[in-house]
Amino acid sequence: MKDGGLENKNELENSKKQSKPYKFYRKSDNFALAIAKVAVAQVCESVGFQSFQHSALETLSDVTARYICTLGKTSNFNANLAGRLESNVFDIIQGLEELESGLGFVGASDVNRCLAHSGVVKDIVHFVGDAADVPFAYDVSRFPVVKERKGMGSFWEKGEEPHGEHIPCWLPAFPDPETYAAQSTARNETMSVSNGVKTGLVRIERKIERPLLNFQQQFARNGNEGGSSPVGGDSGKAREASNSNPYLAAPLHFGEKDVDVSPVILPTKLSNEVASRDPVPENRFVGNQVSVLETFAPAIEAIKSGICEYGSGKKNVLCSQRPTVRFKIGIGKKSLNTTPNFISKNKDLEKIENDNQKDERKRSRIF
Amino acid sequence: MNHKQQSNDGKHDDDSALSDFLASLMDYTPSIPDELVEHCLAKSGFQCPDVRLIRLVAVASQKFVAEVASDSLQHCKARQAAGAKDKRDKQPKDKRLILTMDDLSKSLREVGHFESIDFVYGVNVKQQEYFADNPSTGMDPASRDE
Repeated sequence: MKDGGLENKNELENSKKQSKPYKFYRKSDNFALAIAKVAVAQVCESVGFQSFQHSALETLSDVTARYICTLGKTSNFNANLAGRLESNVFDIIQGLEELESGLGFVGASDVNRCLAHSGVVKDIVHFVGDAADVPFAYDVSRFPVVKERKGMGSFWEKGEEPHGEHIPCWLPAFPDPETYAAQSTARNETMSVSNGVKTGLVRIERKIERPLLNFQQQFARNGNEGGSSPVGGDSGKAREASNSNPYLAAPLHFGEKDVDVSPVILPTKLSNEVASRDPVPENRFVGNQVSVLETFAPAIEAIKSGICEYGSGKKNVLCSQRPTVRFKIGIGKKSLNTTPNFISKNKDLEKIENDNQKDERKRSRIF
Repeated sequence: MNHKQQSNDGKHDDDSALSDFLASLMDYTPSIPDELVEHCLAKSGFQCPDVRLIRLVAVASQKFVAEVASDSLQHCKARQAAGAKDKRDKQPKDKRLILTMDDLSKSLREVGHFESIDFVYGVNVKQQEYFADNPSTGMDPASRDE
């Protein structure tokens, strides 16, 4: 694949900036490869070439990078063999001799040779003496740049006292209390509805799920900004986060958008109930929190009317609504089905699912 | 132990030659930047705080690239000389020197000591010049009619 060839180095560099990245297997090393390309191009130009094929240049720069890596590996190995961590000049010279041994160098056959005046070094000395001093074309800063990431902060750093003697102060501090305290208004709502153990389970799960969402929100924000921030007054930020991240966006309410979620046909009784449910306006201040309540409100009503058991009721409700995408951080009930790569047989619902939902679906199918 | 036979002065000269060379390296700026060399060495586990050794590795790899490039240049010039001798009807060969995969693969194979070249893509494989969609593509019309 013969390229037209480029006239001079400047043209080459400009084209490199405009060209799309080539598919190398080392995708993580694009920056180093690009720098190597420029360096190799400079060396080739000093040797006498006027233009290059793209593929040839990339191959040669990749080989050069490998050469340096091999040299480093060999030197490190030699140093470790001698019982040292840091390499010195003799390790490098030995590595060079190993690499040059295919072609041979002066004094290779000499068993008692000293590394200090090895033929390899003499070659390099001659090269340095002959070659023109062509410095690198660009100013390169140290890379890779290590990003300073502000962690969560330990108890000691925050100046807080751990809650008990069993918690050492160098561990990360607990998140702010707002993230794991249930909202008072929502709790009153559920108290009026609940009766019996089954609704108690719903309440507990809601208590776990909503603060999880709060915590996830806060965690996502911390990842971007660093430092913890209270969840309560940050509805604006939440909306901002939801604008950028589709997973944090408020899920659709029932009937808001026609989505082909699943071909499962609901029993008429349940679908009527769901259709007649009115969304509660006063709880709507942050989209994510309310959605959890609303998701489970029909389940509560279904349980109240005693249609079906807790698990399958939730399943039918979920089929009618677009399920909330949730990321679990290790809290939740252990399901019977413990295989992590459980592929749902219902291929239409290809979303991230709770273990509970998978479990209940399996159970309902068995029944 | 190797130096027991040598005089102390001789040993001192050799060592000082090496250290002088390393010192002179700091004046010479290799074409391969130090940052790239440091990155590649760090990837392979090489640890050394001494800048002179980084320069040594940079100079050594520059020497390697120069060797390969000069070999390819010789191949390229040989090919141009052979082409010019044939006296074709078409235009003469390009006067420009272009680094091609053909020349590069030949010179890399010759250099040969570098064992990881064996699995570098395309270097040891004969390059297809072009791909045609049927066997009669590019043939003369007269022979194609036959």
